[in-house]
Amino acid sequence: MMNTRCIAIASVLYLSMTASLARGGGPQEMAVDEFFEKQIRPIFVEKCQSCHGEKKARSGFRLLSRDLVLTGGDYGPGAVPGKPEESLIIEAVEYLGDLQMPPEGKLSDGEIARLKKWVAIGLPWPTHDEPANASTKSALTKSEDTAIGQQELWWSFRPVQRPDVPSVKNAAWPRSDIDRFILAELEAHGITPAEPAERRTLIRRATFDLTGLPPRTEEIEAFLNDESPEAFAKVVDHLLASTAYGERWARHWLDIARYADSIQGGNKEEGQSEKFELYEAYKYRDWVVTSLNRDLPFDQFIVHQIAGDLLPKPDGEEVNSDGLIATGFLANGAWDYAEGDKKKVVADIVDDQIDVVGKGFLGLTLSCARCHDHKFDPITHEDYYALAGIFYSTHVVTDLGLDGGPITRLREPLVPAEYVKKQQKEAQKLLGLERKIGQLTAQLFARSSEAGAIAERVVLSDPDGALVKLCREHETLAKEALPPPPLAMAVGEGGTLQSLFPKIQDVPVHLRGSYARLGKVVPRRFPTVLAGEHQSPITKGSGRLELAQWIASKDNPLTARVIVNRLWQHHFGEGIVRTPNNFGKHGDPPSHPALLDWLATRFIDDGWSLKTMHRRIMLSAVYQQASAVSVESLALDVANRWFGRMNAQRLDAEEIRDALLSAARSLNRGLVGGPATVDVREPRRSLYVQTARRDRSNLLVLFDAANPDLSTEARPVSTVVPQALFFLNDSFVWQQARRISQQLEGAVPDQLARIDEAYRRLFGRPAHDEEVRLATAFFDHAKAKGNKVGWVDYLHALLCSNEFVYID
Amino acid sequence: MFGFNGSLSRRQLLRSTGAGFGMLALSALLADEAPAVTSDSDDTSDLPIEQHMHHAARAKRCIFLFLPGGPSQVDTFDPKPHLTRDNGKPLPFNRPQLGVQRTGNLLASPWKFKKHGASGIDVVELLPHIAGSVDDLCVIRSMVADNVNHTGAALQMNTGEQTFSRPCLGSWLTYGLGSENHNLPGFVVISPQSVFQGSQLWSSSFLPAEYQGTWVRDLNNPIANLHDPAGNMTRQRDKLDLLRRLNELHEQKRVVDSQLEARIASFELAYRMQRNAPETFSINDESDATKKLYGLDDPTTETFGKQCLMARRLVEAGVRFVQVYDSATTGPRWDHHNKLKEELPSRCANVDRPIAGLLADLKGRGLLDDTLVVCGGEFGRTPMAQNVDGRDHHPFGFTMFLAGGGVKGGHIHGATDEYGFHAVQDKVHVHDLHATILHLMGIDHERLTYRYSGRDYRLTDVYGRVVKEIIA
Repeated sequence: MMNTRCIAIASVLYLSMTASLARGGGPQEMAVDEFFEKQIRPIFVEKCQSCHGEKKARSGFRLLSRDLVLTGGDYGPGAVPGKPEESLIIEAVEYLGDLQMPPEGKLSDGEIARLKKWVAIGLPWPTHDEPANASTKSALTKSEDTAIGQQELWWSFRPVQRPDVPSVKNAAWPRSDIDRFILAELEAHGITPAEPAERRTLIRRATFDLTGLPPRTEEIEAFLNDESPEAFAKVVDHLLASTAYGERWARHWLDIARYADSIQGGNKEEGQSEKFELYEAYKYRDWVVTSLNRDLPFDQFIVHQIAGDLLPKPDGEEVNSDGLIATGFLANGAWDYAEGDKKKVVADIVDDQIDVVGKGFLGLTLSCARCHDHKFDPITHEDYYALAGIFYSTHVVTDLGLDGGPITRLREPLVPAEYVKKQQKEAQKLLGLERKIGQLTAQLFARSSEAGAIAERVVLSDPDGALVKLCREHETLAKEALPPPPLAMAVGEGGTLQSLFPKIQDVPVHLRGSYARLGKVVPRRFPTVLAGEHQSPITKGSGRLELAQWIASKDNPLTARVIVNRLWQHHFGEGIVRTPNNFGKHGDPPSHPALLDWLATRFIDDGWSLKTMHRRIMLSAVYQQASAVSVESLALDVANRWFGRMNAQRLDAEEIRDALLSAARSLNRGLVGGPATVDVREPRRSLYVQTARRDRSNLLVLFDAANPDLSTEARPVSTVVPQALFFLNDSFVWQQARRISQQLEGAVPDQLARIDEAYRRLFGRPAHDEEVRLATAFFDHAKAKGNKVGWVDYLHALLCSNEFVYID
Repeated sequence: MFGFNGSLSRRQLLRSTGAGFGMLALSALLADEAPAVTSDSDDTSDLPIEQHMHHAARAKRCIFLFLPGGPSQVDTFDPKPHLTRDNGKPLPFNRPQLGVQRTGNLLASPWKFKKHGASGIDVVELLPHIAGSVDDLCVIRSMVADNVNHTGAALQMNTGEQTFSRPCLGSWLTYGLGSENHNLPGFVVISPQSVFQGSQLWSSSFLPAEYQGTWVRDLNNPIANLHDPAGNMTRQRDKLDLLRRLNELHEQKRVVDSQLEARIASFELAYRMQRNAPETFSINDESDATKKLYGLDDPTTETFGKQCLMARRLVEAGVRFVQVYDSATTGPRWDHHNKLKEELPSRCANVDRPIAGLLADLKGRGLLDDTLVVCGGEFGRTPMAQNVDGRDHHPFGFTMFLAGGGVKGGHIHGATDEYGFHAVQDKVHVHDLHATILHLMGIDHERLTYRYSGRDYRLTDVYGRVVKEIIA
C-alpha cells in the first residue's frame, strides 16, 4: 500500500529504501539514514528546533522523532506519511495558510522540496535518537503548563459558606454584623476604627454614592435637624427611591457591560445607512436604569441580559420588550465590524460575549481559554468551546456582508409579527405609489409642450386627473399607515447565517484559537470545575437560558460573591476583592473572606435585592466612619486594606460634570432616558452624554470615563494637566461660575452672607472664619486692581478646588 | 482631624498604593513626581530617568510617520525585476488563504528605481528627496503583519493586537519612560483627520489615562483649553493663588494624600503649560529656510510639512513619542485599489520633501542620533493587480524604514521573494518591530508589563524578537 503511494511521489533514488522503513537494519536503511542526516536533519536543527526541540515546545510541538511529528501538537498531527499535500508541516513551510514556518523567513524552494520528499517516503527517522517517552505529546504536560489538574479548589470556586459572626472586644462600636467582621480584623491588626463622620460629610457621601449628585441644601438641613435614631436610614431610603439612584448605579453596570451609545459618534438618526451602528443601544441603558430603580432581583437582572429573548412574554403584553432589550448586553460588543475576515468576526463576537459574561457575572477571565487551557484558573480549552457553542448558536448579525459589504446588525421589532407584516406591506404599497407617481410625472412632463413652471406644465397635460388621483391615494394611505416598528438591539436564537456554524449546534475546539484549525466537537455545557462532570445535556435551543439560570443560581459559588463585592467596591472605593472582574488565581484574594460570604448569603436571602444590600452596607458603622485618622492608624494600614477609615474619593467623570451643573442649578434632572446627547453642554445628566467607541475626546474621557472597548471593573483616577486646563479655561466651567454669581447676587446682597451661601451650595457646609477672611482679602485685591468680575473669579476658584471634587 | 506631615513620605505612599505598576514605571513615576513638590523648578528629580531603563537607550524619543492605507512596497523601496519580466502573468504559486482577495495577475511597477547614496539603496523615482537621505535609512523589506483589513492591521501596528483594545506603543513608552518635559504631554498624535478607528489607535486602554496620546487635530489650535478665554494672565494668577490657599486650608484638615497634592501641582503645571506649550507647538518662528526644507512653501507639501515640523519641535522640547499621520486628505490616502498610476505619485509628492526635510533637520540639529524615526503603513500592497490599475492589501511582505536612534544607516534588512509577495529572508513581524523600538529606547519588551484583570500584559504579548541585526 505504502509502496505504491511512494512510487508515485518519491524519486527513483529512494524507491528501494522505503520497504524497510520502520524496521531497521540493512544497507538500504543506511541510505535513508544518510538522506535524513544530510538533507533533513540540518533543516530541523537550523530552522526548527530552537522552538520545537529539547528546550522549547512551541504550540506543544517537538521535531525530535518520527512519532513526535506524527503525534503533532496543538494544531493536530504534524504529518501524514506519504501525503505531503495533507501534512501540516508542509503546509506551514509552504506559507499557504495562517501557520507559516519558520516565522522569520520562508525556507528555500530546495529545502521545501526535500521536506516534501521526506514526507512522501514516509518520514524516515533513524531510530537511535527516539526519546524514551516519545509517544507523549510533549514534555510539557497539561498539568505543568496550565492550571488543570490541580488538587485543591480555589477559594472562589468553593460553595459560599454561612459564616459565624465573629466576636469582638469593643462591643460598643458595631452597629451591625458587617461591623463585627470588620472590627475583628481591625482588632487583630491593632487598628482603632476612625471616628464617625460628621453628619454633613455623611449626607454628602451618601448622596453622591447613591445618586451621583450633591445633596440639596434643604436635604442637608432636614437631616441635621432630624434627631431620631432613624435619621440616616431615612436619608438612605429617600435616596434609594429617587430616579437618580438608577441613573448612578446604571453607570457602574454599564462600565462592566462595555456599553457604548455609538461606534462613530456624532448625531446619527435611526434608519441611517450604517448597518452596524448602535441606534437602539440607549434602550438597553434605559432598561438598566429602570431595572435598578424598581430593584429587579439581581438573578432576574442576569437572566434578562443573557437570555431575555427566551423568557415568556409578561402577562398582558404582546411582545417581550424588556427581555429583548436586555440582551443588548450581549449585542453591544467591542468587536471590529470592519474586519474583512468574516469568520474571524463571528469568532470575535463569541469571544466578546464569553468575556463580558465571564468577567461581569462570574468574575472569571474565561476568554483566556480561547487559545489554550487557562494558564492560571482551572478552565480548559474545551470548557471555552463548550460555552462558545452556546454563543455560536446565537446571533447578533443578520448579514455578514460576505460580498465585502458591511455587517448588518440584528434589530428586533418590539411589536407583534402581524404589525411588522402589515407595516411592511403598507410601506411597499406606498413605495409602489411613489414610483408610479414619479413615472407618470415624467411622462406628463415630457408630453407637455407649453412653457412655464414644472408643476403647471405637468398638471396641464394631465386632463383626466390620473396624477392627482394617485397623489390623493398616496396621501390617504400615508396618513393611515403604521409607523415603522420600534426596534431593539438584541440577540436571536440560532447561529450566524453564512458562518461556519449557521445553526444551533455544538462546535469544535479551535486549535490555538483559530477557526481554520478545528479539533474535536465539544458538547455545549458549563465549565466543569464549577458545574461538575455530569451535566444534563442541552437539548433545546442554544443553551443560553440554561446558562443564564446556572449563573443566576444561588448554588453558583461566584455570582453572589461577585456582585456584593461590586456594591462594596463602589461604596468604599475598593472591594473586599480588589480585582472585581477576576476572582481567579491571578486576582486579588479577599481581605475579608468570611464577610464576603456573609454578604453573599444575606443577599440571596434578601431575594437578590440590591437596594436591601445598599441599606445593609450604608447603615453599618464601617461605612459611616470619617476618612481622616491618626498617624498611627494610617501607618498601620496605608492602603486601608482593613477598612479602618473611609477612603476619600475623587468624584468620577459623570459626577464632576453633574456637580458643576448642579452647583449652578442648571442640571435638568427631568430629561430622563432616550437617545444619547452629543453636545456636552446640554444640561442633562452625564449618563446621557454620548459614549462613542471611536471618538474618545470628550470631557468625560478626560476624567477617566470607562473605555467602552473593555469591561471596566474599576476606573483609574488620573490627575493630569489637561484636566486643570479644563477647569481653568473651558467656558463650560466659567459659565457655571457666572451663573452662580448672578443667582447669589440677587438673593444674598450682603458679601459675608454670600460667601457663606456659596460654601453651603458648593460644599454643603458653612464657611469657616479663615475662609471668609481669605475671600474678603481676594475681593479687596480684585477691587484694587479694577477687576469687575471678582465674584465670578472667586466662585470659579471654588469650583476648581479640591474640596469640590473630593468626597471625604 | 489630624494634621499629618511626616513619617510617611509621598514616596512610601506611592510605593504602597502603586502595586499595579511595573517597576520601571513606578520608579519613573517617583522621579516624575518630584518636581510637583517644588512647583516652579523643572528638574529636582533625584533619579535621572536613564536609571529606570533596563539598559542604555540609543533613542530618547521617537517619531512615527504613519502612512495610512498601506503603501506599496514594490513601487517604493523594493524593486522586483521578475515582476517586470512576468507582468500580466499569474502569480506562480498559491496565495495564503487569509481574507478575501480579488486580485488578478502580476502588475509591474510603472516607475523606475535607481540606486542612491554611498549605500546604493534602490529608491523609486517618485521619492527623490528621501532618496537623497538614503544613507541614513534602515530599510526593512521583510515586514509582516497578520491582518488584511485597515482597522485590524492599523490596530496591530499600534498595539500589537488586531481586535480588542490594548495600550498602544506610545502609551507603553510614556508609561515606561515618563516624559522628559513636565510642561508638555509625553505622547502626541498629529493627525488633521481621524484615521480608521480613530482614538482607539492611540488609546492607553487599561493603562492609566494619562498615557493616552494627546490628539492634535487642528494644527493652529493644537491643545484644548490652552488659553485663558479672558486672555488676562494677571487675573488668572490671582485666581490660582486663591485656589492654592483654598486647597491648603482643605488639606490641613486631612490625611496627607498624594492625589490631593498632585492635583494642586497640576494647576501650577497647567499655568506653566499655557506659557510654554503654545510656543513649542507653534511653527511660526521657524526660519524661512527651515520652513522651505519641510515644503511649507508648496501647497502640495504644506500640511504634512507642518505636521513633521511640529513633530520636530515637540521631540526637541522633550516629548517622548510623536505619531504623525498623513491624513490631511480624504479619499483613499495610501490605499490604492485603483488608479495607482495617478494616486501614488501625488501621495509620494505629498510626503517626500517633508520626510526628507525632517531627517535633514534632525540631523542638522544633532537630534537624529538619539531620535528614532519610523515610517510606514499598516501593511503593503499585492504585487498582483486589483481592478485594472490598483493593488490590494498585503500583510505578507512589505517595507518600512527606520532612521536615527541607533539603527544602521544605509542598510537594507530582509527581503521578499522575487515577486515581492512573501517576506522570505529575516522576516520582521510587527511584534518584532515593537520589541526593537522598545529596545532602542532602553526597554526590555519582556519586562515592561502591567497587571490588568489578573494578567501581566505587555506590548508584544507572548511574541517579539529584538532585531539586533539593524542596530548600529
